[in-house]
Amino acid sequence: MNKRQIMLTVNGRDHEVWVQPSQTLLDVLHDELGLSDVRYGCGEGLCGTCTVLLDGEPVNGCLTLAVQAVGRQVTTMRGLLGPGDTLHPLQECFLRRGASQCGFCTPGMVLTSLDLVRRHREQGRARPSREEIRYALVGNLCRCTGYTKILDAIEEYADLAAGQ
Amino acid sequence: MVASAFDYVAAGSYDEAVRLLASSGDDAKILAGGQSLMPMLNLRLAHPELLIDINPADTRPPSVAGGVLRLPALTRHRVLLEDDLVRQHCPLLADAVRHVGNVRVRNRGTIGGSLAHADPTSEIGGCVLAAGAQVLARGPDGERAIPAQELFAGYWTTALDDGEIITDVLIPVARPRQGWSFHEMVRRTSDFAIVAVAALVELDESGTAVTAARVALAGVADRVTLADPELAGLELAGLELAGLELAGRASGGDLDADPDAAVAAAAARIAGRLEPSDDVHASAAYRRRLAEVLTARALRQACARAAGAAGAAGAAG
Amino acid sequence: MTTTDPRTGGQATELQPGGSYRVVGTSPAHHDFVDKVKGSLHYAADWQLPGMLYGRVVRSPLPSARITGLDVAAARALPGVAAVLTAADVPHNKIVERASGGLAELEVTMPVLAQDRVRYFGEPVAVVAAATQQLADEAAELVNVDYEELPGVFDVESALADGAPRVHEVGNTLVSWQIRCGDAAAALAAADVVVEAEYRTQHVEHAYLEPEAGVGWLENGVLTLRVSTQVIEHAATIAQILRLPQSKVRVIAAYMGGGFGGKEDMTVEPFLALLVWRTRQPVRMIWDRQESLAASTKRHPFIMRYRTGASMDGTLTAQQVEILGDAGPYPNLSPRVLFAAAACACGPYRVPNASISSSAVFTNNTPSSAFRGFGAMQVVYGYEGQMDRLAERLGLSRTQVRERNFLAKGDLLPTGDRLDTCVEIGQTMHRALGMLGEPARPSRPGKLVGRGLGCNRHPYGRTIWFRDRASAWLSLQADGTLLIRSGVTDLGAGQAASLCQIAAEVLGAPLDDISIYIGDSALNPPAGGTFATRQLYMSGNAVLNAARELRDRMAPVAADLLGVAPAELEFADGRVRPVAPDAPDAPDAPDAPGVSTAASITLAELAAACDKRSISTAHLSTWRAEAGSFDPRAGQGDTFPDYTYGTHAAEVEVDTETGQVTVLRYAACHDVGRAINPMRVQGQIQGGAMQGLGYALTEDMALQDGHPQAALFADYLIPNAQDYPDVLVDIVESGEGKGPLGARGIGEPPIGNVAATIASAIADAIGARPDQLPMTPERVLGLIDAAASAGRRT
Repeated sequence: MNKRQIMLTVNGRDHEVWVQPSQTLLDVLHDELGLSDVRYGCGEGLCGTCTVLLDGEPVNGCLTLAVQAVGRQVTTMRGLLGPGDTLHPLQECFLRRGASQCGFCTPGMVLTSLDLVRRHREQGRARPSREEIRYALVGNLCRCTGYTKILDAIEEYADLAAGQ
Repeated sequence: MVASAFDYVAAGSYDEAVRLLASSGDDAKILAGGQSLMPMLNLRLAHPELLIDINPADTRPPSVAGGVLRLPALTRHRVLLEDDLVRQHCPLLADAVRHVGNVRVRNRGTIGGSLAHADPTSEIGGCVLAAGAQVLARGPDGERAIPAQELFAGYWTTALDDGEIITDVLIPVARPRQGWSFHEMVRRTSDFAIVAVAALVELDESGTAVTAARVALAGVADRVTLADPELAGLELAGLELAGLELAGRASGGDLDADPDAAVAAAAARIAGRLEPSDDVHASAAYRRRLAEVLTARALRQACARAAGAAGAAGAAG
Repeated sequence: MTTTDPRTGGQATELQPGGSYRVVGTSPAHHDFVDKVKGSLHYAADWQLPGMLYGRVVRSPLPSARITGLDVAAARALPGVAAVLTAADVPHNKIVERASGGLAELEVTMPVLAQDRVRYFGEPVAVVAAATQQLADEAAELVNVDYEELPGVFDVESALADGAPRVHEVGNTLVSWQIRCGDAAAALAAADVVVEAEYRTQHVEHAYLEPEAGVGWLENGVLTLRVSTQVIEHAATIAQILRLPQSKVRVIAAYMGGGFGGKEDMTVEPFLALLVWRTRQPVRMIWDRQESLAASTKRHPFIMRYRTGASMDGTLTAQQVEILGDAGPYPNLSPRVLFAAAACACGPYRVPNASISSSAVFTNNTPSSAFRGFGAMQVVYGYEGQMDRLAERLGLSRTQVRERNFLAKGDLLPTGDRLDTCVEIGQTMHRALGMLGEPARPSRPGKLVGRGLGCNRHPYGRTIWFRDRASAWLSLQADGTLLIRSGVTDLGAGQAASLCQIAAEVLGAPLDDISIYIGDSALNPPAGGTFATRQLYMSGNAVLNAARELRDRMAPVAADLLGVAPAELEFADGRVRPVAPDAPDAPDAPDAPGVSTAASITLAELAAACDKRSISTAHLSTWRAEAGSFDPRAGQGDTFPDYTYGTHAAEVEVDTETGQVTVLRYAACHDVGRAINPMRVQGQIQGGAMQGLGYALTEDMALQDGHPQAALFADYLIPNAQDYPDVLVDIVESGEGKGPLGARGIGEPPIGNVAATIASAIADAIGARPDQLPMTPERVLGLIDAAASAGRRT
């Protein structure tokens, strides 16, 4: 087995892991590092449950090799929590608005929408509209909520973020 | 499912990648965005022994020189969507890319990878065909230019030799008096297209007659397909942008005097020559029907945009 | 009286004012939802044990074949492979489902691993465990199976034809339910009008985002499975398969990433059990999405033939219905699904003469079983289609013809049940239509706009003759916190959290002080599985009763300490206090006059006092649903305990050149009895409606000669965030449900109305109604073409 030792920086912490070059970032994060908020959903890059941020950009964990993440910042949803596991304001909006039912799609929804709101702010644009949020979430599939409460939560957060 | 084991090497340049490819032969695959390759590996449909990662090989941004928009092969879909140069010089592509994949796919997927994958429903493939682009490919014997028309060779097959890698996509910049349009039919936003049409139209100096028109269709054959709508000389006066036009509607009088009917007839001709296949998403007959409807819509909109652009050019000039 | 809840935006109508609650009726976010939003919830695949192996099922690539050879030598020889098991390795290779309680069905067993025949594409033939998933996948590919293809049947009509290949020796009709009342044939002959149509629905897949998954291990000689499952009672079946005592099998249900009925039958359980038992090591198994799409159970496709008779004023006089359901090759829950279809085939309408025949037919397609709606869902497309057709025929409006026939409390159903709760369906209809607002204009020439509606009656609770029951155990701890133990499994719809809300309401313990332990066949009182929209009804009542009984046992102790009568006590906010004689019963006004906080005790003090008097502060309660019986020959008897009624309304725009249907507005209104958690109720309705939209327009698990055609997520099209508008929700709270505090079930009902509603709207737009699902653009275009050539509107 041609494993190699690599260093992955995940949620601000460095981890030394032995990986096969063929292992995906999803499998290494979930199976080797025990991160349960990065999940297998389809292996085709179409469902979004394996979403992680790579240097701040949402990517499909199942379509990225672990070795490709060396030297880059990997962020999973748990990386948004504050000290003592306090919720990020976006997560609080999700909780308050009932945007999680079974919760399986939640990490992907949170990371993708966080990136969207951030980019709008960085580009000096108005906060994303509901339609723009919908477009950004294409590819983050949810089978439980019908999307409405997820959109409500993200809009609420976007307003909060814009107010700062 | 988990991919079968393979080795991995990162190539610092295209030349290095070509060398690695040459020495590994059939057992190696190029890894660019990975959004088409990785699903195949995850499903154990392919079993390469080596992946050559070319992401480090090219960090150039899009550029324009000599009337050509140069898109490095590793240009991400997201860049095609957001880059000012692309929007200005190939608005057809910038518009069509909205329909490709999703946020994550667009962050990593590349134009070179898309074209090399040669999906017969590819929106990007349709655009480069309509735009008259060419790709630059580098192989062990050097570099060559392949016109887009000659690139697609069948289901997920290109004219590239085994050892060749796409390095650049060269697209003639949008010219004055040119109009474009992209239409597609999907069952769900951002799905693989059922049928997609990319159209590019150019007008004469008076801005009233068509001198050139190209229509590319995806989802209608084993490859993206270029069709000639045979609209050269069409006078645009009276062209209606909206309105329901069905092939076979009786058009009283000279076709040339009724641009709507000419466009409808062109769309019907194009659709009539197609031989699509049945699949779980659409029957062949429906694909042909869609091809006709979307081609007519795309041509009308492209002509309208061309007329608008000609007006603007005239006003500026 | 309608109020808008500022927290949820939902509207609630109090038909029976009075009975205000502190906790019930609010939408707190707590328990598992906090973990989900934090990302710290461990689903079934998130469990790791030292020495864990990885499993993979080997499946048949043919839908109907004899196994002529099976060679596992190469697979076994691969280094790192711990086990390769086949039928010969299964101690008791039969699963027998007593799906109808022994009423009127053929007895057919299903093997865990195919022995000498395979009957569907994807049927398990062998199972592998290896040191890594990669090795397991490789070993699976090395298992060499020889097949001799056999003729198969791939649709119900072929399966029923003379001389059809037999899926099982006993024949191709698994069960055929008959419901009869009055004389439908005579009534149809005498009817002023008869409307006749055939409706066809498709295979669809649950497509939960969490694929089937679990981990199994041995602990103290007990085979333990921690799996994503709706039913922990399968532990008994696992014991049977392995020939183990039931005391040696334990099933733990992890919180599911969606179930929808697809995790109601066993999925990974038997394979994990076999591999763990053989290797004596922990084993993890996660099904591929593509494997799940191709081979997991599906919703029954139905062919429904309706003949509806009515008088000129629109009053229904007769319904004759024939339902044929494609069961696939094994029974699973087919008998129950087709029974529910039969019991609900006439919808929310009075039908004095009915003849309903509902059959489950074997084919070599993917096995069909439970899926949210469970037979009572597909028939909505049929009976609502008939009502719209009737309206058109008679020149009545679609609402008029329905109002003429809506059921009311006290009416008899065609099955002979008498409705003993109120029927507020008329109100749901007007509210749903009202939410559509002003009609839209077509966005450009060539587009047509239309509006439609769909009403339904959907059962909650299991069929009465199953004698359902659920138990729950509560314990007030020494420090005043509360523990709940219940065998309930949680699909993600707040099954567990709702129980906490009910307990908090009765005992006054703050929600943050309540811990609930669920879904463990060894450690929890049995509650029955989470299906049939039964959990709130059953476990909700169990917890309600357990809490009330516990409170009643402790009340005299508190009363003694506080110097009042037990009936004058209020349990709230972690304390017990006297309710002052003249105080209004308004607990959210702590400053209201007459309510004293000085003389009160904490729940911890109460627990201590009870302990001193040797009064237990723990209590187990079992709630039993009403019992009854059904006579399958007469086609009459008790069916379901009660129903949830609702109406959806939609506005669509149809592109007449492409057939593409765009939903412009969508609204849903259901009578939920009592909304224990209004936000979750809204969520169920929005989620159910969205699944219904996929079912109506884009989802099709099509098969060609038994081969799945859409076994990639790229090809199986579930709704995404941009496809449909927000589902507008309104709820009616009539308070007469049989669930706790008057609640009715809401898990399944909202998925039923959608296809009928969309068909109704398309028909309004283009003048022709699609009778086949999904209503693809191609099919709609076909109807437009046909209408155009028939000279109707284009």
